[in-house]
Amino acid sequence: MLELKNVNKFYGTRRALCDVNLSLDRGEIVGLFGENGAGKTTLMKSILGFHAFSGEITLDGENITPANVTRLSFATSEHSFFANLTADAHRDFYEGHFDTFNKKRYAALMDFFSLPHHKPLRAFSTGQKNQFEVILALSQGADYILMDEPFAGNDIFNREDFYKVLLGILEPHETVLLSTHLIEEVSDFIGRAVLLQNGHIIKNVTTDEIEEQGMTLVDYIKTCYRYQGDRVSKALSELSELSDMSDTSVNT
Amino acid sequence: MKFTRLRSLYKTHTPPGMPMKGEYGFFITGWCAALLYTLLFVLRYVNARADLYGCDPATGRRVLLAGAVITDFSELFDGTWTGFFLLAVCMVGFAVWHYAYFRLGTQSIYLMRRLPDPWELHRRCLTLPCLCIAVCLVSAGLCLWFSYLIYVCFTPDICLPAGFPTSFFHYVFRR
Repeated sequence: MLELKNVNKFYGTRRALCDVNLSLDRGEIVGLFGENGAGKTTLMKSILGFHAFSGEITLDGENITPANVTRLSFATSEHSFFANLTADAHRDFYEGHFDTFNKKRYAALMDFFSLPHHKPLRAFSTGQKNQFEVILALSQGADYILMDEPFAGNDIFNREDFYKVLLGILEPHETVLLSTHLIEEVSDFIGRAVLLQNGHIIKNVTTDEIEEQGMTLVDYIKTCYRYQGDRVSKALSELSELSDMSDTSVNT
Repeated sequence: MKFTRLRSLYKTHTPPGMPMKGEYGFFITGWCAALLYTLLFVLRYVNARADLYGCDPATGRRVLLAGAVITDFSELFDGTWTGFFLLAVCMVGFAVWHYAYFRLGTQSIYLMRRLPDPWELHRRCLTLPCLCIAVCLVSAGLCLWFSYLIYVCFTPDICLPAGFPTSFFHYVFRR
């Protein structure tokens, strides 16, 4: 189990994470949602040890150290591969460093997405880069797969393919923490939704609980964030009123 | 077999995928320039040695001046290894550049920091610059040794400064 207890993170005086308590069980697919700047990326980077934080993050009761960090993998829209290396050179690199690297899964995913094996990654399209980033995270053989907006820049067909593949290949012990803004797309396959706002976890709820309330995930999230559906029409009408007034003053 | 081993050693001690040709070019050029700069000692030495001689007005021949002492070795050698020193400083810059490489374009630093060997990142960033610094130090040491040999071998014994050590190690450790 991946457990976060009273995790706080400050950027200077700004508090990016406030007393975050969260636990991820094996085999869960958890969606992490929140506006830009809510703390999703900070949360993931804290788990991986990229950020200093206060509080406690444990993996099966132990602190995350180089000895167990390989049980976590990470796919990010910032990309964490080496742009000048080919896909196969990455496979070799991963094989050399991660004992659990799943060669079969890597080959199958590379075939599925028809990615070139001998082309440097810098020559890949953005979509291909995202796919490759996720392929590496899924093939590392980690128990906990953290994905930070991995599909940013991919087209809808690409993303749908990916969700299907993800559901099809995940082993029962593999846990996914997926941060994304594409709420509707992931609503069918996540089991739990964690909502962040200004560094606080405001909701941590299973999709079954949301269904029991007779709501969709999108509606639930909108309600939690007190989304004002009419704010666009209000703003537009205010703008048109203003332009009408200025037209009248010009005419007079 | 040896070549393959060397190649794999090289691969595991450099930043993955980093184009290194420019760095090698810089180092080799810098090293050659530093070596050329050490010729400053030879120039200074030739002048200092020439000062030991004068012209005998009677015979018109070039003779050793009575009581002439050659300029002190440290004065002649002073600054001639500046080139190697500067090159070594540049290698520190290379090490910084290697670390920066993992944050350029992509954030491969995230992968490096997730590796089971926590020293992997530092090994890949620092090995080559450290080796180059070692080469600079050894080169500077060799230059000191050659210069010392030139100084001792080509200077008439009576013109050596009083108490000048006749052994190189003596000279180095005396300092």
